[in-house]
Amino acid sequence: MGEAEDIALAASAVQLAVEAGAHEAEATYVVAERFATEARDREIAKLEQSTARTLTLRVFVDHAKSTLTTSDFSPEGLRAFVGEVVDAARYVTPDPLAGLPDEAAPPDAARADRLEIYFGDVRERDAQAKIDDARLMEADIRAYDARITNSSGSRVSDTLATLALANSRGFRGAFRSSTVARSSSPVAQDGVSKRVGSYGSASRSYAALEPAAQVARAAARRAIEMCGARKPATMRVPVIFERDVAAMVLSDIFASLNAGNVAVGNSFLIDKIGAKIGSDLVTIVDDGRLPQGLGTSPFDAEGTPTRRTVVFEEGVLKTYLYDTYYARKLGARTTANAAGGGIGPNNFFLAPGDLTLEELIAATPRGVLVLDTIGFSTESVTGTYSRGARGIMIENGERAYPIEEFTIAGNLATMLAAVDAVADDLHFDSTVASPSFRVAEMTVSGN
Amino acid sequence: MSLDADLLQTLLTEAIGAGDYADAFFERKVTRSFRFQEGRIHEAGVSVTLGIGIRVLRGEQAGYAYSDDLSPEALRKTARIASLIARNGGGGAHAVALPRQPLAAASVYTSDSAELRPGSGTYVDLLSRADAAARAFDPRIASVNAFISDELQEVAVATSEGRYVTDCRPLVTLGVQCVARGLVRGNGYVGDGGRTSLDYYLKRTPEDLAQEAARIACINAEAVEAPAGEMAVVVGSGGGGVLLHEAVGHGLEGDFNRQGTSLYSGRIGERVASELVTIYDDGDLVGERGSVAIDDEGTPGQHKVLVEHGVLQGYMQDHLNASLMGMASTGSGRRQSFRVAPQPRMCNTYMPAGESTVEEIIGSVQRGIYAKSFAGGQVDITKGDFVFMVAEGYLIEEGKVTAPIRGATLVGNGPDIMTRVVAVGNDPHLANRHYTCGKGGQYVPVGVGMPTVKIAGVTVGGSAVG
Repeated sequence: MGEAEDIALAASAVQLAVEAGAHEAEATYVVAERFATEARDREIAKLEQSTARTLTLRVFVDHAKSTLTTSDFSPEGLRAFVGEVVDAARYVTPDPLAGLPDEAAPPDAARADRLEIYFGDVRERDAQAKIDDARLMEADIRAYDARITNSSGSRVSDTLATLALANSRGFRGAFRSSTVARSSSPVAQDGVSKRVGSYGSASRSYAALEPAAQVARAAARRAIEMCGARKPATMRVPVIFERDVAAMVLSDIFASLNAGNVAVGNSFLIDKIGAKIGSDLVTIVDDGRLPQGLGTSPFDAEGTPTRRTVVFEEGVLKTYLYDTYYARKLGARTTANAAGGGIGPNNFFLAPGDLTLEELIAATPRGVLVLDTIGFSTESVTGTYSRGARGIMIENGERAYPIEEFTIAGNLATMLAAVDAVADDLHFDSTVASPSFRVAEMTVSGN
Repeated sequence: MSLDADLLQTLLTEAIGAGDYADAFFERKVTRSFRFQEGRIHEAGVSVTLGIGIRVLRGEQAGYAYSDDLSPEALRKTARIASLIARNGGGGAHAVALPRQPLAAASVYTSDSAELRPGSGTYVDLLSRADAAARAFDPRIASVNAFISDELQEVAVATSEGRYVTDCRPLVTLGVQCVARGLVRGNGYVGDGGRTSLDYYLKRTPEDLAQEAARIACINAEAVEAPAGEMAVVVGSGGGGVLLHEAVGHGLEGDFNRQGTSLYSGRIGERVASELVTIYDDGDLVGERGSVAIDDEGTPGQHKVLVEHGVLQGYMQDHLNASLMGMASTGSGRRQSFRVAPQPRMCNTYMPAGESTVEEIIGSVQRGIYAKSFAGGQVDITKGDFVFMVAEGYLIEEGKVTAPIRGATLVGNGPDIMTRVVAVGNDPHLANRHYTCGKGGQYVPVGVGMPTVKIAGVTVGGSAVG
């Protein structure tokens, strides 16, 4: 189906909801063609290909909200569930703030052409070329070092999607997007134990995606560089977050900028607008219009045109990130961060500095380079941050030896204030991205 | 829910081609949910998942395709795409024969609600009661969020080996999250439910859950920073089972062992833990969150001995990995939905009773922490490194539980820590039923359980050094 048909389907769902008694309704219809393959050693291990269709319908009855998500497109199934979700809204407490965006987006807001989020090379690349890429990565990781004797697979995947949005205030919009990814997970034999290294990269087009050989090399390096790791002593030292781990820290910060969390008291940034939280090096941006960005779209999940929002400027908190509801609630304007029924990042990133990562390491007499963390619970309420980690001990400005089985702990506010160096290695290979950065001092707990 | 057996037979015959095996997984899942926030019912949701996934296996290779369009034409196209992996090479066509009617799996669920009828009114009432009870618990309670989810998943599995079975799985969950104002903002969360009906909440009332969440929030609001460094850790009964799930369970899943990427690969019969350690994984515990009458490949859920007195006994297997390893499936093939192929997964993972009393265990610790429950955890299957986030924790000083601590994580290595289990309590419990396990991007409900356990020497990550 084309975009016009998809918009028509979304509009018909809106119509069904209004007929069932909804005062306002908004439907999002997504059709995604997905391809994924995985190789292990010389064989193709997985070959998957499907088209997924999903309809998400938000209805408001007297400002009471209810949401249907469905893959049942039979006429009777659709009618029955739309009826049910409108009925369910009658049990929700009416909230005058709940409803569609007030401002009708200008018609050209739906245009996606300058955003460069759809590339024809994704449809054109044939399955065999993708399978060959996956096999190549499997061969390359084994060729990198004799200790790499196994893997959890190398993968290539892509998605071509069309999103159509219609609402009862007359908004109609649709856009196409493409996403491609390559990743590899080699396993190195390190004495009696094994180590997995993982690296992946994503982009909007095959042309811009990191080449298979480069992905394989990065993954293999991650497995090998941790061989012989030991547990460090407990200490307080500078900690450098390598860019993928740095992006995970940014995700935690995003959670506390999410106006939905701010509104319910679940954020360490409550009442901090205008306050100097981070060091001068901390400039954090959410940009929904970054060309080729994986979080780029012409409009957000509510049809609000996307924009560029500076969230932290040289350490000063400028704004939270909002959808329509929480903007009304907190007396702000939406920043076009509506996503998946809540608030999500567009392209959310820390502005890069001008040092290379190697220069940053050389400028660190003694410290820890964190390459990977495990664990995912940050106390947003207090900003308490604690993770299991592994990485490299830095001595005399050089990578001295790999370390593991330690934790790093601190507080997100304190960490932002202590960012004293930012590298230049920002890559937009995820919706949340960050260059590597250094925190002046953190607790590293080991022996 | 049954499908046309002739159509399924045709699809499987078309799909298998030169493959060894093919299966079709039909799913219709409806989830109804309500969310309470800031003193009112904030939103309602209905989620419908309907479709069929078709898989073809050939040696170590798996082809997969799915369709939400259930027309015969769309499904035949789906079968052909799934079979691409088995197109080349020899092997004749298999004739697939299915029984005319599917066999309904024997239920391991308690599914009839006699008193609390499913419906918006009931959901709203349960949530409102939870909110009122949490607020009444303590004036420090600053905010309360609660949600309820009531799900029914109907599945049908048909395989090229002639299996055609159905299952109908209920799942209810009620969760309450509180924030308390004190020295710091304290967080408390309690969720419970299971593969049962809403009548579960007649005995396990929303008030119980809310008061428990409020109590934890108030404790965490007065908590001191967690100590850092290596020390003895006492893991609490019930929720402590997350430790088994992460530190051992994932490493015993068949895929990692077949590929040789688990640290437990090839070690059946070997000593892998202290002799005090016995670990089971059961798919057939009545009403538990991780139970399945049949798994998503149609194999009955069952009792599995993973580790007994410290010796590795077996893995959790799905069809693919079991057949490649010359073993039998253990009913562990699970998937998030028809849009993904099954993986070997845990069901309800737990440790049976030991002999120590809780008082003996706590009393034996000079300086350490008591990790009463965990907010979650994560593991690197290959190396065995894990981390657990403590949800409710205390210091232990000179044999006594003292101040609450916040922000503690436990970090270590699965096989290493299992050799350091020095005491197992006589108080085994299955945890509250609210855990969800993620693997390869797929989320499935699971259960965990454990008695109180003492581990000598675990790295605790906190921010207070010394």
